[in-house]
Amino acid sequence: MFGLFATPRRRALTIGTVVAVLALVIGFGAGWLAPSLRTPGDNSPEAGFARDMSTHHAQAVSMAMTAYPKATMPEVRQMAYDIALSQQNQIGVMQTWLRDWNLEPTGSQPKMAWMPGGTQELTPDGLMPGMATDAQLQQLSSATGKQVDILFCQLMLRHHLGGIHMIDALLQLSHNQQVRDLAQTMKTNQQAEVDQMQTLLTQLGAEPLSS
Amino acid sequence: MSISTPQAGGNRRPSSKPAAGGKPAPDASGDKPKADAADARTPTDKPARPAKAARSGATSGSSPRARTTAAERSAGGRATGGRSGGGNRPPTAGRGGGGGRPPITPVKINQGRHWGPVALISSVSLVAAAIVVFAVYEVHQNGRGWQSKADAIQGIVDYRKTETDLLKPAQHAYGKINYPQSPPVGGTHNYNWERCQGDVYPDQIPNENAVHALEHGAVWVTYNPSLPKDEVDQLASKVRGNDFMLMSPYPGLDKPISLQAWGFQLKLDHANDPRIDQFIKDLRVNATMEPGVTCGQDSGSYVTKTGPDPANLGQSGAPAPAGMPSVAGS
Repeated sequence: MFGLFATPRRRALTIGTVVAVLALVIGFGAGWLAPSLRTPGDNSPEAGFARDMSTHHAQAVSMAMTAYPKATMPEVRQMAYDIALSQQNQIGVMQTWLRDWNLEPTGSQPKMAWMPGGTQELTPDGLMPGMATDAQLQQLSSATGKQVDILFCQLMLRHHLGGIHMIDALLQLSHNQQVRDLAQTMKTNQQAEVDQMQTLLTQLGAEPLSS
Repeated sequence: MSISTPQAGGNRRPSSKPAAGGKPAPDASGDKPKADAADARTPTDKPARPAKAARSGATSGSSPRARTTAAERSAGGRATGGRSGGGNRPPTAGRGGGGGRPPITPVKINQGRHWGPVALISSVSLVAAAIVVFAVYEVHQNGRGWQSKADAIQGIVDYRKTETDLLKPAQHAYGKINYPQSPPVGGTHNYNWERCQGDVYPDQIPNENAVHALEHGAVWVTYNPSLPKDEVDQLASKVRGNDFMLMSPYPGLDKPISLQAWGFQLKLDHANDPRIDQFIKDLRVNATMEPGVTCGQDSGSYVTKTGPDPANLGQSGAPAPAGMPSVAGS
């Protein structure tokens, strides 16, 4: 042991080696860690958005799949088809983000906690903004004829507005370009569909839901 | 004091010299060689050090000894090692011998080692390395697969390890099915899945439909009907509004609470047990046997039926209702 320090040369070599090894350990470890430092964390707005928007989207997909086979207006069926497939795809993208970030599909915090004041926006049933109640889903499920078109447009319009509200929060909070890009696209599409559904409701002689 | 500064290095650090040489020494005769030695050595060293070396020289006080050390040094280390010696000394050697002249060596004392800086650098490096290693460990732990995280939950039963049939493609069937576990955790199941978009069922639901929900990645929370209402409410708050979750009472349950995911079960006594959240976090969606499938779609494909008997939506000669996405034996 002390032989390693017997002469200055040996001492220098020993110390140099130790320092070099430590530097390698630090460098390697830091390099290994670097990617995880750059990805969003468990409680980040990005992770919260990916999780909550997945749930939010899932209900839209559900409603669209219910309306698609039985809506009477071709424009409504087309929109239901579009919403079901695109939002299911977006769920897949968001779930893949979470996996890439080494995060679970389930968060450690309550729904909407990533938004300032978000948890207070949940209904007593734990529903996020714009989501339909169970009774409304049942209504849509048992509706027939033109009533399907009307209910679908009413429920989906409100659902989109709630979704856009959450997207706006993400766009305020996040600097992650990948997440922002998808969120911005969602917002643009949903805004366009909101306009279309308003037109459709007018054609159907109905009004958007009041809240 | 600038007596022996033969090399270029000598005048580089005039400031350190007065400090070294200026030390009052009780023994005047011993002072001179000591100062020489200090002079020659000084340029090689960091500013902090000469003073210390000189001090130690002054206390130990004997110049012969100092010279011996110097001789040893130059013979064993510097002279032979020359500029190839790594670490903290080589620049001096290079500078000293660089002119083609033989290194003039009255020189080179190395009594005290630089343990101060060495200890500082070493400990800082060690602490840095420890921090990095710890962080790497944490991130690595975090990156473990969901299954090994779930297996680490105390009391969980991982049937995927013992009942490997659970990992094979599950079949669909109509009618009652007997399951080896109670509540069941997987296996052949009804064509229709119980809706699992945060549904809190007030009554018992059919095993055969619930197992299909497990296959889709849902966590099924069951409780003995005798569970106090406040605990039922506490459980319901973890389920309501959460996609890939469903909950129902389970008559005859041998524990107050039981959680199921495909191939996993955890039985508990209380609704405030922190393992409940852990189970959900580790297994919800992750435990799916069909990545990407949903918990509720067209109303023809899911059921919200309660009661012990399986719902058989669309059973009519054909193996399953048209448009049902989960028919293909999965």
